[in-house]
Amino acid sequence: MSVRLAILGLLSQQPQHGYMLRAAFEALVGGEDIWDVKPAQIYATLTRLEEGGFVRQEGTDRDGGPDKRVYSITPEGQKELSSWFASGVEEEGQRDEFFVKLMLSLNAAGADPYRVIQAQRATLYRKMHDLTARRGAADPKSALATIFLLDKTLMHVEADLRWLDMVEGRLDEMRRQRTPQPPAKPRGRPRTRGVPKDPR
Amino acid sequence: MALIQAIGLSKVYGTGDTAVTALDHVGLKVEAGDFVAIMGPSGCGKSTLLHLVGGLDRPTEGTVAIDGQELNALPDAELSRLRRRRIGFIFQFYNLIPVLDAAENASLPLLLDGVRAAEARARGIEWLGKVGLADRETHKPSQLSGGQQQRVAVARALIAGPALILADEPTGNLDTRSADEIAALLRKVSGEWNRAVVMVTHDPRIAAYADRIVFLKDGKVVDETRLSADAAGNAASVKDRAEALSK
Amino acid sequence: MRIEWTLALRYLRGRRLRALLTTLAVVFGVIVIFGMNILVPTMMAAFQSTMLAASDRVDLSVSQKSGESFPASVLETVRKTDGIRVAQGILGRPFNLPTDWFDRDPGTPDRVGTLSLLGLDPEDARAMRSYAVRDGRFLSRDDGAAAVVSASFTEPLGLKLGDDLALPTAAGVVRLKIVGIRSPRAVPGNEEVLVTLPEARTILSSPERLTSVEANFAVDGEEKRQEIRGRLMGLLGASYTLEAPSAGENMAQVLQMSRIAFTAFGALAMFMGAFIIFNTFRTVVTERRRDIGMLRALGADRRTVVGTLLAEGFLQGAAGTALGMVLGYLLAYAGIAAVSPMLGQLVRLSVGAPQVTPDIVAVSVVLGMGVTLAAGLFPALSAGRVTPMEVLRPSPRDAYYRRALGAGAVAGLVMVALSLLALASGNLRLLSLGTILFMVGLILLAPALVRPLAVAFGWLLALVFAREGTGTLAQGNMTRQPSRSAITASTTMIALAIIVALGGMVTSVMGSFTDLMRRSLGSDYIFVPPAITVWQSNVGASGSLADRLRRIDGVDRVSTMRYAMGVADLKPTMSKGPQPESGMAISILGIDPADFALVSYLSFSEGSEKDAYAALGKGRTLIANPILASSAGLKVGDSVPLLTPEGRLEYRVVGVAADILNAKIATVFLSQANLAADFHKNEDIFIQLNLAKGADPKAAAAAIKEAAREYPQFTMIEGRAYFEELLSLFQKAFSVLYVLYAFLALPALMSMLNTLSIGVLERTREIGMLRAVGSTQRQVRRTILAEALLLAAFGVVLGLLSGLYLAYLLVRAMAAMGFPIGFLFPWGGILAAAAIGLAFGALAAVVPSRRAAGLQIVEALRYE
Repeated sequence: MSVRLAILGLLSQQPQHGYMLRAAFEALVGGEDIWDVKPAQIYATLTRLEEGGFVRQEGTDRDGGPDKRVYSITPEGQKELSSWFASGVEEEGQRDEFFVKLMLSLNAAGADPYRVIQAQRATLYRKMHDLTARRGAADPKSALATIFLLDKTLMHVEADLRWLDMVEGRLDEMRRQRTPQPPAKPRGRPRTRGVPKDPR
Repeated sequence: MALIQAIGLSKVYGTGDTAVTALDHVGLKVEAGDFVAIMGPSGCGKSTLLHLVGGLDRPTEGTVAIDGQELNALPDAELSRLRRRRIGFIFQFYNLIPVLDAAENASLPLLLDGVRAAEARARGIEWLGKVGLADRETHKPSQLSGGQQQRVAVARALIAGPALILADEPTGNLDTRSADEIAALLRKVSGEWNRAVVMVTHDPRIAAYADRIVFLKDGKVVDETRLSADAAGNAASVKDRAEALSK
Repeated sequence: MRIEWTLALRYLRGRRLRALLTTLAVVFGVIVIFGMNILVPTMMAAFQSTMLAASDRVDLSVSQKSGESFPASVLETVRKTDGIRVAQGILGRPFNLPTDWFDRDPGTPDRVGTLSLLGLDPEDARAMRSYAVRDGRFLSRDDGAAAVVSASFTEPLGLKLGDDLALPTAAGVVRLKIVGIRSPRAVPGNEEVLVTLPEARTILSSPERLTSVEANFAVDGEEKRQEIRGRLMGLLGASYTLEAPSAGENMAQVLQMSRIAFTAFGALAMFMGAFIIFNTFRTVVTERRRDIGMLRALGADRRTVVGTLLAEGFLQGAAGTALGMVLGYLLAYAGIAAVSPMLGQLVRLSVGAPQVTPDIVAVSVVLGMGVTLAAGLFPALSAGRVTPMEVLRPSPRDAYYRRALGAGAVAGLVMVALSLLALASGNLRLLSLGTILFMVGLILLAPALVRPLAVAFGWLLALVFAREGTGTLAQGNMTRQPSRSAITASTTMIALAIIVALGGMVTSVMGSFTDLMRRSLGSDYIFVPPAITVWQSNVGASGSLADRLRRIDGVDRVSTMRYAMGVADLKPTMSKGPQPESGMAISILGIDPADFALVSYLSFSEGSEKDAYAALGKGRTLIANPILASSAGLKVGDSVPLLTPEGRLEYRVVGVAADILNAKIATVFLSQANLAADFHKNEDIFIQLNLAKGADPKAAAAAIKEAAREYPQFTMIEGRAYFEELLSLFQKAFSVLYVLYAFLALPALMSMLNTLSIGVLERTREIGMLRAVGSTQRQVRRTILAEALLLAAFGVVLGLLSGLYLAYLLVRAMAAMGFPIGFLFPWGGILAAAAIGLAFGALAAVVPSRRAAGLQIVEALRYE
């Protein structure tokens, strides 16, 4: 997730002090529970943005630290922001700890993949329970944004649960197949760095 | 003493080669104020378990006791009385009698018990108000939305003041929003009004409202998960629990 | 108790059309039972009050059992008996007056049709009772042609004191001067014309004879009076009775039989109603399984569930019974208004408003409610067996019914086989049993026959509705619920069976009877008295008329019949209605065998015609008619003791034969010589003559008419005309049957309508689906029509089979009762019944098919 674009967006609404930006950023992403951002990261981002010409400092008060300076967005920054609005966001990569755990449990001694799945399921349900409770506590009249975010998470968890059911049903089938192996290297010279060839 | 104590429940349909075991020696224990969800793939026996607990069907083996009263021993008339006064039922569809209005439907357990019509109606209206359906008392089911119909069903389930509510896929026929409302209502029923609620569902979102989930598969309990944080410490290891319950 | 009624009312209100149809089923049954059962007793009461003479102010009335006159010495015997205070002798008889005798105006109905002429001794009479005279005076011993009548007689006719009263008698027209007028007659009965005994003897040609002796007791106390009665009976002998003989007994019998017949029809209508109700309730239970399961899950008792359905049944039964009684009363009223004129021609009857007795009301209520509740009970009980699981998981349908069907079909097959055996045996008792077995067997077998018949007829339908598949669909619909289709067809079956049976009977009767009629009444001219079934109330003609006719130029032969009422000292083997204390009341007709054989006709079933006629002239012989022969078990050669004024005499049976006029009444024919000698009767009451070949018809007709003028008590008609008149009378009588047909056909129609409507309702979603995938409205309509036709055809087949069986039974029964009929196969009736049945099917389909076609597709798909 790009912190710099979020900062740009906030600045496009109004010029802000550095330390205000941090608070605004945390409120935007849904609270410090979700993202407890370090001030240093904000200030570093601001500096880079300034170097790139997307933001500039207002005023001539150069005595305090970055937290006290007031920043505003430049036309270049605006353009950058516009093209971000225009394009889609791709979710982060498929790194999944549970997936790894499950794959390992297929072949590890003393590990039962079904139990692994069940434990994950229990965890997910507890998570859903909490999310549901929080969602129930939120007032739709004033915190609709929070509710929407919670809904999104709930739906993701739901999707994960559905995926668990599906996997559980075909676990045996998967067991009979080989786990993904690294591509076999032929004897001889080492491969050129970069693109691996298809394993035979 | 637990409100529901079911031990070794089995239900087998048919005989010989074509026998189907819907439930295989399942136990369940529910206290007042519990909100239990029963989940599992279709055909796992979750509805069967609910039916047996509610006295709607008789088990092939095993016993069910509600408040210490064993259901097996009861004749049909007694079971009927139990269903009028001690248990409230909510179903997935066809919950309401189409020719009666909302207040009458809500007060049906009382009417069946011989309570005078005027008094029953008054209590029906009161409970309709509690479930958020004030001013709909004269509406017929055809004039109510799916969610509203289920609310009437909830009011009806509670009107005789039973300690136990059994719900079989109560949100299965509803859109997401109505489903959430009903689930929240059931949560209130168990939390605020301290009844035991046992709910069969296949919807994880709805199950998430419960305190505890019992997972069934092929007629057996495969797991039980506490969802409320405060009870987390009581949970033994998943494996042990699953084994204990399967006996 | 409350919730059951609340639910019942709501459910009925929710399905108004179906509730109405079910209620109508009850209504029809109750209409027939209630309506018919107040119609007949009302007519009987009127009949009795017109026919029977009131003899209410004396203690004893002595008369001959046969109603004939007896020697005057009997009066002395009675007077001398210890314990009798006073007695008087009366010579009297009822007179049937010809139409328009007094007012000579065919336009206005006659006020007075029958009179009682009573000859009495004025002194003795006054000693017995008070004859209060309002105007003028009572009779005196030396009065000649004088009469005392009552004001209720003179006022309508506009007669006054001193006027002459003209009466037609055997000796010609007699004129009596009215010397006294009594107060209007209060008690219903014939108007009395009082004359002196000598005058009566002259008028009636019965010197020194009496017809009744009235006496009053000197003592009180029923025991003492019984003893006196017994003593008197001992003195007088077996041919006397202390009650007045009831006249018109036979007519009463006919009415009684009609009552039984109508009750039977009513029962059948109720039976059909029961079927319809059963069908409806079963469907209701099936439709409401989920609601019922829900109620049970919520904790309703079995009793509550059953109670709700019974409450629905109760409400519909009550509404149906009430409505049925109201409509039944109105129909009876209309029926009386329609029937009175026709009856009036036969027997002079005036009928009042319908009489409703409490017991008829009670019976109708019990039947109406009882049938509804009984028909609904079985489905209601099955509703009680619905488990709460129904609401959660729909169970396999009607498994219970399917098992029951298996046993039922086998039983049905056995019954049908047995009934066919009974048919082959020809025994009447077995046949009656066989009819019931046949019909019940068919009903039980019907569900099993649904599929094969549906396939068979479906093939036919496919020819009509080719390429559209509607035939197959209709077939499938019918076989889907075999028991429901079977019950609908059974209702149609009962209706059609009756129609076919009656049609068959009518065909046979008309066929055989008309033949007999033509022969019996085929003479050129006939002289007919006013009432042809109640002979004794007719005034005849002395032999002079017949002689005169014989002398007319161009007349070839004249045959006359003479009449006496008699008692045969026989024990009936099959008794019919009230009989005198011992012996059977019979009609005795005197004929001249030579003349009779040439002009008229008897159909002989035993004995040869030639020998029998010859034997009549030799000694004491008689010919019995079949109805008497079968009820008394008589054969040729048997001896029949007749109680005559001359004592107990033995007659020998020389033949068994029937004529058209006396077919229903036990009758014997003997020679006129014997009739005069033994019964002292020589009046002709029926005359037939044939013209000679080559005679001048016009001249002969004129001369005959001239002769007839002196004897106004006879109506002279041409033979052919009479035959046509009787035929049309028969046809009119049978036309009443068409009204009955309507009564029976309507419930059958309704049952089909009911089944089809319910079928459409059940299949709403399916029809929506059909329309959604491209079926047109027309195709939907045709499917329903096809199903209706299949159902109708099914019912027609069953109805024809059982109708023919029933027709055969009826004809055999009538033949056993003495009516000379043979079984004629009613081809026309069968075709008509088939056409009617199918037409009904089409008719029943109209509304449901429209409804089905008019369903909104989207709504239909959402229907639950």
